[in-house]
Amino acid sequence: MRQKTKTKSIEKHLSHWGITFVLPSIVFFSLFNFYPILNALYTSFFKKKVLSLAAPEFVGLKNYIYLLTSANFWNSIRATAVFTIGTFLPLLLASLIFAVFITSIKRGNKFYQMAFYSPAVLSSVVSAAIWLLIFDPRGLGNQWVNNLLGTHGTDHNWLADAMMVQLSTMIVYFWKYIGYFIIIFIAGLASIPKSLYEAARIDGTSGWQEFWRITLPLLKPTIVLVSIMSMLQCLKTFGIQYLFTQSGAPQDPINVITMNIYNTGIRDHRIGRASAMSIILFIIMLVFTWIQFKSSKSDEVEY
Amino acid sequence: MQLVQSLKTPIRSLKTAQITWQKALIWFLLILLTIFTLTPILYMFTASAMPAKDIMKMPYRWVPKGFEYENFVKAIKGNDGSFIFLRNILNSLIVAVTCAVTTVLLSAITGYGLAKFRFKGRNLLFMMIMATMMIPFEAIMIPLYMVVTKLGIQNSYTGLILPFLVNAFGIFMMRQYLVTFPTEFLDAARVDGMSEPGIFTKIVFPNCKPAIATLAILAFRAQWDNLLWPLLVAQSENMKTVPLYIVKFTTEMNTDEGAMMAVAAIASIPMFVLFFSLSNYFISGTAVFSSRKG
Repeated sequence: MRQKTKTKSIEKHLSHWGITFVLPSIVFFSLFNFYPILNALYTSFFKKKVLSLAAPEFVGLKNYIYLLTSANFWNSIRATAVFTIGTFLPLLLASLIFAVFITSIKRGNKFYQMAFYSPAVLSSVVSAAIWLLIFDPRGLGNQWVNNLLGTHGTDHNWLADAMMVQLSTMIVYFWKYIGYFIIIFIAGLASIPKSLYEAARIDGTSGWQEFWRITLPLLKPTIVLVSIMSMLQCLKTFGIQYLFTQSGAPQDPINVITMNIYNTGIRDHRIGRASAMSIILFIIMLVFTWIQFKSSKSDEVEY
Repeated sequence: MQLVQSLKTPIRSLKTAQITWQKALIWFLLILLTIFTLTPILYMFTASAMPAKDIMKMPYRWVPKGFEYENFVKAIKGNDGSFIFLRNILNSLIVAVTCAVTTVLLSAITGYGLAKFRFKGRNLLFMMIMATMMIPFEAIMIPLYMVVTKLGIQNSYTGLILPFLVNAFGIFMMRQYLVTFPTEFLDAARVDGMSEPGIFTKIVFPNCKPAIATLAILAFRAQWDNLLWPLLVAQSENMKTVPLYIVKFTTEMNTDEGAMMAVAAIASIPMFVLFFSLSNYFISGTAVFSSRKG
């Protein structure tokens, strides 16, 4: 009996320590994650300006109605969607293919991993600054493309033309993140047991068949993960678009949601409207995360 | 027997030919991507050593004639000669190092609490922490900005650091790392009369070195690269961080290309030094994501 109460008190003692260890982070997340998102939701129902002394006025869904009928906001949705689809699809395909390439070669894997990853080491502002020069009318971008296409002396308006500036932001993003996703895929590929390939080889399977029948199905969880991660990352893009527009590129084609939130909230001081935009962005991302959660649950593979 | 042998040979050589052809294609594509990823970086470093008139010359000279140290002088001095870049580098270092330290400490202790203790609501708290991964910073920056303004800590180190003390990913990583930590060690220490904080600081924490290094690099990088939050919070020139300086410097009228690349190079050197000396931790930090569902 005494023994039992003793173990009980030890357990209690330990559980107190467990709570003590977790508590600081819980306080942090409540103050700096949960409170702000709830606050954003609350503020999105008000007309609120940063500098005005008047109390915020309750406007119900007016901010949302305003946004959903505003051409400017729909343009942001379009810009974000174009950027996300145009970036994440090539990223996903290329990183998968190159990860398979790197794992298939015997020498130089480490070199290629480092080489492909190094743009990810640079910050997005530095990346944008480098590409700003490459996309200069006299820069490397025009030189290369003109050499390739034989269009001597043409200016492709990388940063001036509405279509081209969208493509330019995609190129920068693709360049920056390709290595990052290649490494995730390499880790995913490494988790596929070698014995499966050996067995397949004994059965006389070709390399192509191996890829379609073994690699791809077993890699599905990683593929889902990478596509959702890259999609979420693209939805949040800001730095490249910001620096490009600050250096004179047209804003409308690349006015992604994050930049619109920043401009509406910080430059124009319309806090209520910016909060409503934040909530819409949050919901969009929540939907994608939910899809990931769903599909990764149903795709559990046992080896 | 002979016949079979002679039939087999051409087939085999056809197959090897196909394999070498495939190999050649793979090598070609790998080299092509290497050129694509590395030339802009090489461009940054070479252009930073060239006078502006050479950078925009066609075709581009990949080997600078000399070293145009003037670019670096301009970069550090700034167009107004205020040397504010040095202060901005210091700010970035202070913010990034502080966030790396707090992230490591808080993630380790929280991860330890979640991995090695049983208490009511543990799983709920873990779920709560994981749920914050779904809240993008971009969606809460405006309310956070209001909070920081209300507290009067905008334009200060506290304001720059506070929202990034710890993150859900770090806690998740440390928890996963510590779940497999042998509980017998902890129990032995308890029998010896060691206090719980003592067990954490003397036994658990020193044994998480690889996870700590990975996490510290991730947290340092996130703040070294952070543009959005300092853009909101750092209003005066002497509170600005490196990304803000780059934006300001590149968009100024009289900035020349050489100095612009010198600024970019200076901002990237710390990360490249870290990357080349600790590349494994960079790569493992990325690869952790692939096992995220656990």
